[in-house]
Amino acid sequence: MRSFVQLFVVVSLSAGFANYSFANEFVHIPGGEFRSVIPEGEGDNLIAVASFFMQEASVTNAEFLRFVLHRPEWQRGRAVSLFVDEQYLSKWASPIFLGPRSGLQQPVTQVSWFAADAYCEWQNARLPSFYEWEYVAAANESTADARALPEWQQEILSWYSQTGGDRLSDVRNRSANFYNIFDAHGLVWEWVDDFNAFLVTGDNREQGGADQLQFCGAGAITMEEKENYAVLMRVAMLSSLEARYTTRNLGFRCARRDEVRK
Amino acid sequence: MIKRKQNWRLALLPALALPMVIMPIANSSDGNSLPPNSVYHLQVSVEDQFGEITKLDRYKGHPVLITMFYASCPHVCPLLISTIKLTESKLSAEQRADLRVLTISIDPERDTPEKMLETMERHSVEASRWSMVRPQPGDLRTIAGVFGVKYKQLPNGEFNHTTRIILLDREGTQIASTGQLGRHDAVFLEAIETSLQ
Amino acid sequence: MRRPITIIFVLAIALVACQPQSAGTESGSAHQADTGGSAAGDFGPPQGDPIQAVLTSAPVVPPPVDRDYPAKVIVDLEVRELDMEISEGVTYTFWTFGGTVPGSFIRIRQGDTVEFHLKNHPDSKMPHNIDLHAVTGPGGGASSSFTAPGHETVFSFKALNQGLFVYHCATAPVGMHVANGMYGLILVEPPQGLPPVDKEYYIMQSEFYTVGKYREKGHQPFDMQKAIDENATYVLFNGSEGALVGENAIKANVGDTVRLFVGNGGPNLVSSFHVIGEIFDKVFQEGGSRYQENVQTTLVPAGGSAMTEFRVEVPGTFIIVDHSIFRAFNKGALGMLKVDGDDNLSVYSGKEVDNVYLGDKVAADQLSAVSDVTLADITGTATKEQRISAGRVLYNGTCSVCHQQNGEGLEGVFPPLANSDYLMADTRRAIEIVLNGLVGPVTINGSSFNSVMPPMSQLNDDEIANILTFTLNNWGNEGDEVRSGEVAEVRAATERPQGAAN
Repeated sequence: MRSFVQLFVVVSLSAGFANYSFANEFVHIPGGEFRSVIPEGEGDNLIAVASFFMQEASVTNAEFLRFVLHRPEWQRGRAVSLFVDEQYLSKWASPIFLGPRSGLQQPVTQVSWFAADAYCEWQNARLPSFYEWEYVAAANESTADARALPEWQQEILSWYSQTGGDRLSDVRNRSANFYNIFDAHGLVWEWVDDFNAFLVTGDNREQGGADQLQFCGAGAITMEEKENYAVLMRVAMLSSLEARYTTRNLGFRCARRDEVRK
Repeated sequence: MIKRKQNWRLALLPALALPMVIMPIANSSDGNSLPPNSVYHLQVSVEDQFGEITKLDRYKGHPVLITMFYASCPHVCPLLISTIKLTESKLSAEQRADLRVLTISIDPERDTPEKMLETMERHSVEASRWSMVRPQPGDLRTIAGVFGVKYKQLPNGEFNHTTRIILLDREGTQIASTGQLGRHDAVFLEAIETSLQ
Repeated sequence: MRRPITIIFVLAIALVACQPQSAGTESGSAHQADTGGSAAGDFGPPQGDPIQAVLTSAPVVPPPVDRDYPAKVIVDLEVRELDMEISEGVTYTFWTFGGTVPGSFIRIRQGDTVEFHLKNHPDSKMPHNIDLHAVTGPGGGASSSFTAPGHETVFSFKALNQGLFVYHCATAPVGMHVANGMYGLILVEPPQGLPPVDKEYYIMQSEFYTVGKYREKGHQPFDMQKAIDENATYVLFNGSEGALVGENAIKANVGDTVRLFVGNGGPNLVSSFHVIGEIFDKVFQEGGSRYQENVQTTLVPAGGSAMTEFRVEVPGTFIIVDHSIFRAFNKGALGMLKVDGDDNLSVYSGKEVDNVYLGDKVAADQLSAVSDVTLADITGTATKEQRISAGRVLYNGTCSVCHQQNGEGLEGVFPPLANSDYLMADTRRAIEIVLNGLVGPVTINGSSFNSVMPPMSQLNDDEIANILTFTLNNWGNEGDEVRSGEVAEVRAATERPQGAAN
């Protein structure tokens, strides 16, 4: 019975989908070296990023809807609480309908790391790493690394200066950056594969003096360049999350090492 | 060009929607009796210290102590094992016989079955109740995500990771955890005893 | 024979004088017994049913605890990120505890066990946590309360020390979270409670750093560089410029004893807290257990507090300020206490203080005319009449001190503006004078003046345009309309004298 309903839904939705391009292209990002705010080891923050491919935009509601129709075990109400929390896709009108509050072209939010990871795997891809994200997000429209520019910082701080309750804008509403990536800032937070690599204590004033026993190895990594508040806040955000959490301002996009022809 | 592609996909969508493809991360279907929070929903394969391929739920039916570590860990990981042994020593022999321990490696590249076996020998661990396993590298983040463990590999090959010992009940739900090392945590011990009843 | 008696006599007097006062936390005497600190603050496990804490928004304070045993108190506090007005026509995105800046006031008793529920609203963009200075434990609770948006964390602590404590968010970057309004006060009453008073109020000072200038209209983002430079745009009581002014003034009656719980959220500045026209009979410095008496101005550290008590004897409006005085008159650190009742002429025979004292400050509650015209200006629809209305308000607040409300000035000292030939002859020159001041001899309406007019360049372009439009069209003057663009052009084309703003 369920499969019949889904068939009906898919057929009736296909009219809407017919005009929608699902092409969220994987764009080539040339590799390079850059200074991260998170050092790899003690004080070593020159990071080498190998070339890779990253989706140009955040995954949208429409794209994720297509995913849950193919993978019903990820529909709201069927995904187990081990992998998603109570707010998973709660803004959608039903597990398989977006409804008026969730636009086709809006970034999908209220998805957990497990759900995002499953989506990327379904795309023969993966979530980007934090360094890959940071590398791409350092750009503005014209330069690869714009982090020294006060305008770059101020634009990001301005996003923090607006409340999150407003209706999310669609993806690709503003111009792409140097790498042809849209909305690296200013739209939603995004999951990264190693979001739980941040051994940042909950009390963020403690950096450098963290309990040695709690963090096996060298102790919690201290963050370089504390003035780089834009990235600092992203780290704070990611370190507050558990893999099953969802929030209204958190989405994702996928990445992969090589270009894959389906 | 693009239009043709879309039509091709449209035709396929109804067909694709019908079968339910089962993913490695399987969610519970109607037939599955596991509680919603049980970690055993995570159907990943792991390799133990004897090279046997098994699943995370190998000890289902028993309360299990879980921890994540790596064999080359110089400082804290030996302490993790001693703490588990110390905690276990507070139980009666009968209780101990019912309890299982599963340590999961965060360094699957280097923690081969031989290495894990050698670690177990070094710490005089009872292989009848303890297993050391390594996951496939692609599943590592997912497992860490399920257990709430944070880790990061350093350039010198060592890891920074949080240290927790987690208690699963017989159905695989996480019911307690502790970060205390070097001595037994009284509250955690109580939870273990309750789960063994 | 006499000497031993003298010695005994002297000793007896010495002993009497050195006897400790009866135990109590109130006395300011040097011989008061200590409260014993945290070691003496554990009164055992909580008794009775758990109590839901009553939380209030400033300036209201929850009622006294009125309990003689330690209890379990449940505190439910929600973090919300909200757009609210910081000044007339100026909005800011505040991050709040309980939907207000400052955050809710929490009132418990020493020895209570608090079960703290911190909730982060699902619409929040940021994770948040809380550090309560009343907590004995790592991070003051911060490491146990790190909460992602849409989630809730719970932790417990026992309040071992009595006092008035600040709480604030400690999520990185801490300075920004505090600068956006994440602070409040928690009062841990001594076991015997505080002596009863007639009125209790909650006032918290703090600063705000915005990209735009003071009172520049519109939605203002946070300015990180200004915060690092400790260059505050606004210094306010209770989170907005009108919070304690006009209708929002705190009130008392003649004869009342008033207790103020004063906090300072910072993030940077120390407050020199003073109530004009009143003396603090008692100040519990830094929120501690001993008081000083007869204090005019007390320091409130950033991240600290003070408790002041005083009795009001005469009616009137008493201005509450940070006595670092430019903050009061140029950044908004100003509040009001209105006391009703019969005059007591033997104590004070003077008049109401509202208008004259405020000097170069326009009361925040009269500014709607100003913001109306500024907003209209942006859309290009501002009318001359709107400018004149706004200009009147601004003139009365700034220029009337010298040039008088009737525009007549002071003979031989301050030139008249009413029917002034000098003013009406050259509008551009008038703009220059307002921006750059005027020194040296001038002849106006046949009289000579040789005085000093200081530059008023700290006023915005639209404020100067409105003031001039008003003066050019009042008291019988019939003149042009002056627009903000003209002022901006003169501002750019001329040099400011040394020391003048902007």
